Amino acid sequence: MDAALFTVELDRHRRYLIRIAQLQLRDADLAEDVVQETLVAALGARDGFSGRSSVKTWLTGILKHKIVDAIRQKQRQPVTAATFDDETDREAFDPLFKDDGSWDAPPADWGDPENALARREFMDVMELCLERLPPNTARVFVMREVMELETEEICKELAITANNLWVILYRARMALRQCLEQNWFTDGSRR
Amino acid sequence: MLRKLTHMLSCREATRLLSQRQERALTTTENVKLRLHLVVCVACTRFARQLAFLRTALARYRT
Repeated sequence: MDAALFTVELDRHRRYLIRIAQLQLRDADLAEDVVQETLVAALGARDGFSGRSSVKTWLTGILKHKIVDAIRQKQRQPVTAATFDDETDREAFDPLFKDDGSWDAPPADWGDPENALARREFMDVMELCLERLPPNTARVFVMREVMELETEEICKELAITANNLWVILYRARMALRQCLEQNWFTDGSRR
Repeated sequence: MLRKLTHMLSCREATRLLSQRQERALTTTENVKLRLHLVVCVACTRFARQLAFLRTALARYRT
């Protein structure tokens, strides 16, 4: 692929990359910056692109490193355990369950959820649900589920314990599940 | 061991284990308790399927 074509191809993924960066950094300017750096780096490393993975996967890999660098720099104003405590708030209040630990509102029947995967609108709803998560929770969740970082890596980058991480990911999954249920699976107009 | 096993998990505990097993290997005791719970609990079985679906959906979002 020549340089001009390659630039066009890279640019097609800009919007997606910015969404991902924005979800993790919660800072529009910084997100633009890391995506710009990613695209520049990608252009420079054009020969390193083997074509075995898709361009999007390859770009996401580069973006992952840029975001980790950006978070590390931001760390100077530390995102400490205290920041996360506000969002995790351990056992205190868990509206999903009754006092005896049974479901307050049990999960609804989602039918064949796989059918939703092919729908562009479903992905939009999922994106909205991700954006609704508390900022630090979203950052951690995207690191884990979208960037596919290992547990140890995330704990090290953010200086949190494994236990803390499990709680954050649990909260994120509960919230995302509930949001999808309310905005897609039990919304009759959409199934 | 037997006594520990006969203490049934609550749904809250079961959902935590279902989430954590995506990050770490559960202990044998946890695994057995979780399975016992899922056998009798329709809501958590449904929840387990939905968590698995979330993973698939996020993987799709990625590519």
